[in-house]
Order: sequence, then structure tokens, then C-alpha cells
Amino acid sequence: MAYPSMGEAHRRITDYLNKFCDAVSYQDVASLAQLFSFSSNSPSLLSLADALNFFQDANRLIKQSDKFSQFGEILAPLFRSLQSYRLGNLVEAYHAFEKFANAFIQEFRNWESAWALEALYAIAYEIRVLAERADRELSSNGKSPEKLKGAGSFLMKVFGVLAGKGPKRVGALYVTCQLFKIYFKLGTVHLCRSVIRSIETARIFDFEEFPRRDKVTYMYYTGRLEVFNENFPAADHKLSYALTHCNPLREANIRMILKYLIPVKLSLGILPKTCLLEKYNLLEYNDVVKALKRGDLRLLRHALQEHEDQFLRSGVYLVLEKLELQVYQRLVKKIYFIQKQKDPSKAHQLKLEVIVKALKWLEMDMDLDEVECIMTILIYKNLVKGYFAHKSKVVVLSKQDPFPKLNGKPVNS
Amino acid sequence: MMNQATNTQTLASVDPNAVENRYVVNANQGQTSLYVPSTTGSEAASWNMYRVENHPAESGSFSNSTYHHVQHSEPSSRTVQDGSNATSLATSSSLGAANTQPDYGGYTSYSNSAGTYSHGSAGYQGYYSGYQQQPNPSYSQPVGAYQNTGAPYQPISSFQNTGSYAGPTSYSSTYYNPGDYQTAGGYPSSSYTHQTTTWNGSNYANYTTQQYSNYTQDSSGAYAAGNAGANSLHYQQHYKQWADYYNQTEVSCAPGTENLSVVSTSTQLPQVSQVPGVSGGYPTSNSQAPTTFAPPWRPESSSSQTPLLQPGATVTGAYDSYRTHGAPSFQNQHPSPVQPHFVKPLESKSSYGNFQEQQKTACPQLPNLQYPVAQQAPQNYQPPTQTVQSLETQRVSKLQIQTNPRIASNLPLGLPKLDKEGPNNNAIAKPAYISVSLPKSSEKVLSNDAADTVLKAGVFPKSLKSYVQRALALCKDEKQSAACQEIMKEIITKATSDGTIHTRDWDAEPLFPIPNTDMTDKNNSQNPTPVSLFSKYKKSPTRRTKSRWEPLEEKSVDKLGSLNNYAAKYSSRVPLDEKDRKPIGASSEGKTDVMKKIRFPQMEQKSASKTIQRQAKRQRLADASAADNGDASSDSDKEQNLTAYYSGAIALANTPEERKRRENRSKRFEKVQGNRAESNHFKAKNAGTGNLYARRTTALVLSKSFEDGGNRAVEDIDWDALTVRGTCQEIEKRYLRLTSAPDPSTVRPEEVLEKALLMVQNSQKNYLYKCDQLKSIRQDLTVQRIRNHLTVKVYEAHARFALEVGDLPEYNQCQSQLKILYAEGIKGCHMEFAAYNLLCVIMHSNNNRDLLSSMSRLSAEAKKDQAVQHALAVRAAVTSGNYVLFFRLYKTAPNLNSCLMDLYVEKMRYKAVSCMSRSYRPQVPVSYIAQVLGFSNGVLTNEGSDEKESDGLEDCVDWLKAHGACLVVDSNGEMQLDAKASSSTIYMPDPEDAVAHGDSSLAVNDFLTRTSS
Repeated sequence: MAYPSMGEAHRRITDYLNKFCDAVSYQDVASLAQLFSFSSNSPSLLSLADALNFFQDANRLIKQSDKFSQFGEILAPLFRSLQSYRLGNLVEAYHAFEKFANAFIQEFRNWESAWALEALYAIAYEIRVLAERADRELSSNGKSPEKLKGAGSFLMKVFGVLAGKGPKRVGALYVTCQLFKIYFKLGTVHLCRSVIRSIETARIFDFEEFPRRDKVTYMYYTGRLEVFNENFPAADHKLSYALTHCNPLREANIRMILKYLIPVKLSLGILPKTCLLEKYNLLEYNDVVKALKRGDLRLLRHALQEHEDQFLRSGVYLVLEKLELQVYQRLVKKIYFIQKQKDPSKAHQLKLEVIVKALKWLEMDMDLDEVECIMTILIYKNLVKGYFAHKSKVVVLSKQDPFPKLNGKPVNS
Repeated sequence: MMNQATNTQTLASVDPNAVENRYVVNANQGQTSLYVPSTTGSEAASWNMYRVENHPAESGSFSNSTYHHVQHSEPSSRTVQDGSNATSLATSSSLGAANTQPDYGGYTSYSNSAGTYSHGSAGYQGYYSGYQQQPNPSYSQPVGAYQNTGAPYQPISSFQNTGSYAGPTSYSSTYYNPGDYQTAGGYPSSSYTHQTTTWNGSNYANYTTQQYSNYTQDSSGAYAAGNAGANSLHYQQHYKQWADYYNQTEVSCAPGTENLSVVSTSTQLPQVSQVPGVSGGYPTSNSQAPTTFAPPWRPESSSSQTPLLQPGATVTGAYDSYRTHGAPSFQNQHPSPVQPHFVKPLESKSSYGNFQEQQKTACPQLPNLQYPVAQQAPQNYQPPTQTVQSLETQRVSKLQIQTNPRIASNLPLGLPKLDKEGPNNNAIAKPAYISVSLPKSSEKVLSNDAADTVLKAGVFPKSLKSYVQRALALCKDEKQSAACQEIMKEIITKATSDGTIHTRDWDAEPLFPIPNTDMTDKNNSQNPTPVSLFSKYKKSPTRRTKSRWEPLEEKSVDKLGSLNNYAAKYSSRVPLDEKDRKPIGASSEGKTDVMKKIRFPQMEQKSASKTIQRQAKRQRLADASAADNGDASSDSDKEQNLTAYYSGAIALANTPEERKRRENRSKRFEKVQGNRAESNHFKAKNAGTGNLYARRTTALVLSKSFEDGGNRAVEDIDWDALTVRGTCQEIEKRYLRLTSAPDPSTVRPEEVLEKALLMVQNSQKNYLYKCDQLKSIRQDLTVQRIRNHLTVKVYEAHARFALEVGDLPEYNQCQSQLKILYAEGIKGCHMEFAAYNLLCVIMHSNNNRDLLSSMSRLSAEAKKDQAVQHALAVRAAVTSGNYVLFFRLYKTAPNLNSCLMDLYVEKMRYKAVSCMSRSYRPQVPVSYIAQVLGFSNGVLTNEGSDEKESDGLEDCVDWLKAHGACLVVDSNGEMQLDAKASSSTIYMPDPEDAVAHGDSSLAVNDFLTRTSS
């Protein structure tokens, strides 16, 4: 590639410095944020990086003028980071970027108004992405990846800067969402709790005043957390909020939300339409839904097995597994209906043998004890109304609404 | 501050700062001008900070204070009787000794203080004479102030004073008539302490002066940080001493409070007798002091300003001047604070409240007077003293009794030090413990005089020479040097008289002695290190030996360890440290058994490590600073010490590589020293001591300190150098948690460990034994950084044993290690433990995320494994609540899966019964429940099926009853569970083995019964 001339390099660097200073003095966030967004790989940044690598002594330029040198703490590490970034040394780039970011926050703290929030967003985003890439580099070198963790603690600091009163608070949710992303990626989800508490207990600032995209992201992540906790009503609420507020054009985002919302809805007894699954390419749920509709235990187990890895990774496996009881309920209900057609007078007495036989048809080889146990559990969980007579091995169903619907309520645990 | 200000105004100048006031007072003497400018600003500012920090650090002093109280009361009584300051001083010295004992736990330095006390007291007396004259009317107050001032000043004085006071020894003779002491105390031990203290003091003084000189010299360049740290360290020690001083002063105060007239009389007396002495001692110091003074202070107060380096002599002079100056200033300032203090303590017995009040009033004044660091200490100390006073008033009757033990403690303190230095000390020490030994001390003293000539003769080994040289180098004043020489000679003569052993000791001694001597010096000046060493020696050896090495032998030793034994141990230990252990023990003190000899190495290391922890930092700092400074004296001393030490060490570690390594290590920490000093000097007490011989242990400590400082990464530590290669051939070894670097001689190499593992696996002994053995195996593996199939085997074996008895904490440790080991690709029963892990997550964490992640981590291959499949099935059964499945799986569990499932059985059964009682109507036969809930699969697998079932049935009935179920007998005589009735009555009973601390496995009896099979 063609190296720029010395003068060209000099020009580019001073150009950048001027842009930076102008953006700060005119409080021009958009152009300021642009100056930081490495991951955009914008040609101007790349050429600047080349110029820096060629020119080598950019710090001298920074020190030359008072205008620049007042931001020396910010700019010097930024240049170093950009250089390393351009050279593909991401770990170094991350280190320098964190230094730069720290210096920037320091400056940001001193600014009364929140004009630079967008720039801060850019930094928060960049540092996360850079940390992820640095970690990839580290782990490929056989070292322990820890940069993302470092980015997490840095963002926590940023959160502390923003989370107080005042106009800067609007930015807190964005940082929170970046933190969520890091924590979910690292598997240190428990760390989310403190941030959530800070967001949700703050009465000074209404949640609705946050930017919409942040609200949606936030609700998505907290909804996922509720899925982990198997707190389905809360998860339903949060994920539904995310879904309704999500930009309808962002299908990928909608799909992500649905990925968790569907299992939640299923466990609340609400089944999605097939077209929804098709539209958002969530066909892995198709069989599950079918199994629920038919009471086909074999199909459910098969579906779970088929997509086990996927479900385990996304964390909905256990939720889907719990649908088994609903499948049993459906099965028993069907038996009940058939029996009712044959002999309405004895329809409410289900012989255990019949159920065992039905399961056998599904190639579920279970003996009487096991099925008896399942029936007691169904009764216990209020999926079946009635009682079990052990002596005669008969499930005696209530004559009134023997199979209560969940209707948005979770299965009794 | 207000009080001070007022005082100052009245006294001389209107300067707000106490320091200025003091100086003004000093000005009366002629040296004031310099001080005023230097100290006022920075010191005052630093005040508050120091206080806060010091308080926690020196909390131990409080306990001391209580001790002091007792002692104080004695002095007060004495004062009443004698009405002379000398008595009070004597008491104070005894107090110092007493102080040392309490400090043992926290501050080792206190014991040393006893020695310093005597010196300080001497100096004080002089001060008193001068000062007392001024404030005569308000004498009681000045006394109190005096004490306070004395405390801060003493540290200073103790260092330099010892030198200047080399004269002081004579002082003591004049001022303190030995007879007075003895008579006043009425305690033989106290008298001893006095003598010893005086001796020590002289020695110490010399040593301390050396340190100071080093520091000052060091301070020149990079000193700033290092010096600050070092200074601070010294100061802390000083503080402790100060505290002692305070006590002393308090003692005097107490009398003052009691009888003003008495006080006046006492003051007069000192004036008459002491004034001349004081004048004589002071002039020398003063002449030097004025010039040097201001600079040393400043550097201390502000670490960065250290560049002002002055020769040791000047420093000492400065100190002297300080004393003089300080004393007057203190008097001036204190009067006002003192009064309130006295009143309050007397009235209110609550020591703390009084302390605080007194501190508030007195502290500001004192701190201002002296170094910032010193100020902190004084503050802390002051409170105790005050409390002491109050206590004294209350406890006068009790005081004597308490003092005796204290005195005894003082003696040991002096003794250990002395032991290290030479036979003299030992002799003294013994007397302290045992009355019989006392004569020895006196003899030694006598011999010491003779020794001077001997030393000069130069017949002694290099080590002795170097030792003497050091001592002399340390001496800044002629008096000091003379005193040092005398002492040294005495010691040497004693050693010679004792035999070659002593000579060897000397070799070793210089190394340790440096610390030791330093310590001793420090003890006087910087008490903490020496005291701690000794105290720890006492405690640590027995304990550690017991726990770790050869428990049986240890016990016997321990039993033997009477007072005599202690003395013997001390002596023996000292040599041990020097690696001459065996000869020393044998020759010097036949009391040490062969067993002891054997143990000694271990003992040494352990004790060293323990002692090191607290003291190490300080010592290190001191050592490091000395080394860093590049002072001819300090470095050469160290080198000499090292060489002497190594030469002395016949057996071990004399190889060049070893030495290099050690040097590297020492350098390493030298680099960090500055940082550490800054960051850690308040933590110093926590740190280990950096005895030269304990390098390895220190290295570990260093690593910790590095981490503390946060400046050095752990990677900077040369772990390879620290890795041990074991030489122990014993197959059996008890586990003891390492608190220091491992000793290769007690670490088993891999082959032996393999045998040990086999032995444990085939052992018929109970789990406790196995666990202990396995832990020791694990420790040896870790220490040698062995990570291979053997390691995996050991952990697997231990994990299995732990599972069998349900020792989950131990199991978890093994499991987490195994995870890492497996991840490193070391083969083992991976699947088996993956299953265990899965079960553990299910049973315990109840954390869906953990469960998911551990499930998703299972490879396809793992999912085919029988054990893993079983575990997964168990998981499914648990999550769905399928109790039938669960108990079926329980019966078919492979490996030890059932052991983990055991942990969930109770919960599962309860869930099942509550489910049944809700779902079944009207009744459920108990036999069915017993069958489904796994009761029938009881212990009696070999017996007939009928019996088995009936047995299971009984168990089931018992269980159901215990859980509040309603049982009825139906017409066929079959036991039935009344479902409807039970649904509202069943409950989860509190486990019978519930323990207050929540972990029933820690209930020893229960654990023993469970594992004794």
C-alpha cells in the first residue's frame, strides 16, 4: 500500500486533532463520536491510523499547540490505540483504548451538560467490541481472555458517572445494556443485579424517559434473566414490552425476543401460530408446539433432543422440558374425551392402565408406578382436577372443569 | 490544640502549633529556633491521618494499657512510699516489660520496650529534672504531659539516647539505684528486668543508632519512599515504646495526681540528682542536635524530603536535642491536657472513654511535638496511659500480682534477644523464667566487663569480628560505642566461656542478630520485631510441631516444655535459626531433647515464618532500605552477616546458586520496597519479617506484599525458584496448612507420594485419617507443582472418599481442582466426575443457569457415558418431581452417584409425600410409599426380602411420623397414610443434627460417629 508522505501524514493527524478540538468546543457530538468509532472502519480513521504509524511522533504534534495539548491525556492513548488497532494488535489497542476512555470520562465528568453522551455511547460500544476481539486474540494465543471483564468494570465506572441525578442519567441505560451484553457473554449474569436495582429503584428518573432502543434492550435482557429464574409472568411482561416497543423493521431483534418469549408463553399455556414461527424462522419450536397440541410426549422429547444444543445454549431447555406436564395433561384430556364419547357416565374415571397403554402407543415405556406418579403430580400441580384412588388405580376426575386451562398463569410449582 | 495553644502562649510564644510551643520551651534551653519553623506546618497537618491509621494498628496497645494499669498502680504505690522519681522510673521499666507480654499477641515489640524504657526513663529523669523545675507549681500536670512527651520522644531518644545515654547506664546507676528498683518493685523479676533492660538498652541503643544512620544515609537518593517507610516503621515501634513511656509517665502522673506535694518532692529530687547528669548528657547531644535536628524531622514527617541526610552521630545528637526540646515542650503543653485527663480517668473507670478524651486533649499536643508518624503512635499510646492511670487508681491492689507475670514476660523478651546475641542474654532470660537462672545473668554481666578486653584481642572468629564491627559502626557517639563495645565484649566473653557453641552462634547470630540486635535495639527503640519473634517462638514451635510434624514427639516435647524448657528452647531456637541448632542446643542447653533438635529446623522455619509475617515487613523495609541505601556500613554489614551466616551454616544452603537466588530475591523486594513502604507501612504488622535466613518464607510474604502494593504482578515472582523438591521419605505425613514456605525435608517426592496414596487407599482407618493424609499429599503435590496423572488420582481418590462420607466441602475442593486438571488434558475418570459434577449442581446450587451451562458443556461422548446418563436422568427426575423415577435411579446409581443423591433424598421424599397427600384419596398404603420412596432398599440387602420390606416399612412409618403424616390402620391391619388429613399436617422437621453454625458436617461428634466405621 502506498505510504502517505510525511506532509500528508502530518496533515491528516492535525486534521484529526482539529476535528476533535472543534467537536469539543462546538459540542458537536456526532462528529466527535465518529472520531472514536474504530469498528466503523471508516476510511478517514484508517488513513489516520496509517498516517500515525508512518509519522510515529504524533505526541509531539499534540504537545505543540495548547489547543491540542489540553486533551493530550485523551488523544495520546487514542492515537496509540488506533495505531495498534490498525496493526492488528488488538490487545494493545484495547489497553490504549481503555486508557483513552478513562481520560475521556474524566473530561466528561467535568462537562455540565450531557451533550457528549453520544460520544460516550460510542466509546462504551467500542470498548466492548474491542475487548471481545482482544479476548479472541488472547485465547487464540492460549492466554486467558480477561479484557471483556476489564471492559465490564470500566463500563461499571461509566455507569457510576451517569447514574446520578441530572441530565446525564439518560445515558445510564445505554451503558447498562452494554454491561448486560458483557455479562451475558461472560456468563456472570449475577452481576446484572446491582445495575438493575440501580435502574429500577431510582424514582428520580422515570423508566419511560429513557430512549426507546435502550428500553427495549433492557427489557429484553431482564426478561431473559427472568426466564432463567423461571419467573414466567415477569418474563412475559418484560419480553412482551420489548416486543411491542421494538422497531418492527428490526426482524433480527424481534426474533431474538421471540426466541425467549415463545417458550415463556408456552409455559403459560399460550401457543403461537405457525405463521409466526415461520416468519421469524423459529421452526425449532414447531414440534414443541405440535406436541403440546397433540399431547404427543414422544414428539416433545424428540424435539428437545433434536435441538438440545441450541436450547441449552439459549437457556430455554429447562423451560421447554417443563412443558412435559402440559403434554401429559393434553394426553389425559384426550383420553378423557374419547372415554366420554364411549361412555359418558364413567368418563370421569380414568383407569391407569389406559393411560399406560396410551403411552405405550407413543413408545413411552412406563410402568404403572411411574404413570401413577405422573398422575399424582398432575393433580398436585392442578393440571388435573380430581384425585387418585390407589387401591383401584383409578384417576377420578372432577366433574367440573377437570382440565383447567392455564390462561396465562404458570403451572403451580 | 486549644490547650496547647493556650499553654504555648503562656509559656513563651503565641505559636499555635504545639511543636512551636515545644520548641519555644526548648528555646529556653537554646535550641528552639530551628524547630519551630520546621515542624509546625506539615506535622500538624499530618496529624489526623496518622491517628486514624495508628489506632487500628496499635489497638493491641490497649490491652497493654490495661497491663500497664496494673503496673502503674504499683508505681504509684511506690511513689507514695519512696516519693522519688527513680521509683516511678523503675516501675515504668517494669511496666514496659509487662507491656511486652500483652503485646506478644499483637505487638512483639513491646517486650523490647522494656529495655528502652529503662533508657528512656533515665533520659526522662533528666528531663524531669530540667522540666520539672519550670512547671513546679503545676507539677502534676507537667508530669502527665511529660509522660506523653516522653513517649514520643523516647523513641527518638531511645535510638540515639541509648548512645548518648551510654552515659545513661551510668545514669541509671546514679538515678536509679539498682537497690531502689528492687526495693521499690519488691519484685525480683522487676529488678532483673531493669538490669537486663539497661544492658539491652545500651546494646539496643547502639543498634538503633546504626539503623538510623543507615536510614539517613539511605535517604539521600531513592530514599524518599524507602526512608519514609523505614522511618514509619521505626516510628511505629517507637510508638510502642512510647506507649511504654507513656505508661511510665503515667505512672509518674499517677503519683502526681494523688499527691501534688509528693510530685513536687519527686520532681525536686530528680532535679537535684538528675539535673547534673542531664546537663552532662545533653550538652553533647545538644551540640549536634541543633543542626541536625530540623532536617531529620522534616524527612520523617514528609517522606519525600528525606534527602537531608545527616551522619548517624548528628542524628543521634538531634534526637537528644529532641528529647531535651521535646521534654520541655511537652511539659508546657501537657499541663493543661494532663489535668483533664487525670480527672477523668480517676472519675470514670471506663478506660475507653477516658482514653478517647485524654487522647483528644493530649494527643494533639503530643503529635504536634514530634514526627508525624510518631505523633500517631503517641496518640494511641496516650490513651492507654491515661486509662492506665484510671486503672491504676482502681487496681492498685491488684497491680503487683499482675506485674510479676509481666515482668517475667519482660525477661523472656530480653532473654530471647540476648540469646541471639550471646550467652549472656540466655542466662538472663533463664532467670526471668526461673528464679534459679538469675544468678547466671548477674555473672554474665560481670563477665561482660571482662569481655571487652577479649573482644579487642581479636581472637574470635570472623563472625564475632563482624558482629563487633557492626555494633561499633552503629555507635555514633563515643559513649555509645564504648557502651556497645562493652556489651559486645561481655557477650563474647560469655560465649567463649560457654564454649565453641557460642562462637558458632555468633556466626549465626550476626545474621539474625542484626535483626535480633536490631530487634533488641529495636526492642528498646522499635520493640515490635524482637518481641514478636520471641513470643512467636514460644508459641509457634510447640503448636506447629504438634500439628504437623511427628505429633507424638511434639506432644512429648510440649509436655516437657516447662519454663525451663522454654528457656532452653529459646537458646536452642536461636542457634537453630542460625543453623547451628544442634550444636547449640546440645552444648548450651542440654535441656533440649534430641527430639527438639530434630524438630528445630522445622520449628525454625515455621516460627520464623510466623514471626516473619508480622515483623517481616518492617524488618524487610529496614533491611531493604539498608541494602538499598548502599551504605558502606549497612551493606557491608549485611554482606558480612550473610557470609558469616552462610559460613556458620555448615549443612545447608551454602551453595553459590542458593546464595544467588537469595540475593536475587532480596533485590527483588528491595526494588519494591519503596512502594511497599508507602503503601504498606501501616500494614507492616501484618507482614512477615524478613529475616535473612527466612528468605524463602519471606519470598512468599513478599509476593503477598507485592499484591498488596499492586505494583508488582504475581508473575514477577520467581515461582520456579520457590518450587520445592521434596526429600522426605516418610510415607505418612500429617496435614498442616502451610503458613510459610515449605521445607524440602518435609515434602515427599513423587514416588513417595505414590506410595502414600496407595497406603491411604488400602488403609482401614477412618475417613478423618484418610482425609488428613490425602490433604498432606495434595499439599506436597501442590508445593512441588506436580500436575500429572498422580495428581488426578489423588484428587479423585480424595473426592471419592469425601463423597462416601458426605464431606462436601472437601469434595468441592477436589472437584474444582479436577476440573482444572482435566481441562489440562490429564487423563482420569473424567466421566465419572462429570456425572458427580452434574449431580452436585442439581442437588445443590439449584441454579438453572449453572445447570444449563454444565449440561451444555457435556460432549456428545460424555452423554453416552453411563454415569453421565444416569446423572442426566436424575436431573430430569428432580426437575419434574418424578419421585418414582428418582428412587429407581437411586437404586441403580453407578459409582458414587447415590452418595450425592443421598443429599437430595430427604427433600425428594418430602415433596413426594406432600404430592401424594394432595393427590391421593382417601388413603395410600404405607407399604406402597415405602416401596416407591426407596425405604425398602435399606441396609439389609443380604437378608430375606420379607424382612427387608418390613424393615423398610418401619423406617417409612418412622419417617412419615417424623414428618407429621397421619397414619391409620385399615381393616386389613395395613398401615395407611390418611392423605387428606396429612395434606395439612405434614411438615419438614428441623434436621436433628442441626448445628448452630449451619453445617452439620462440622459437628465433630456426629462426624466422628459417621466416619469411624
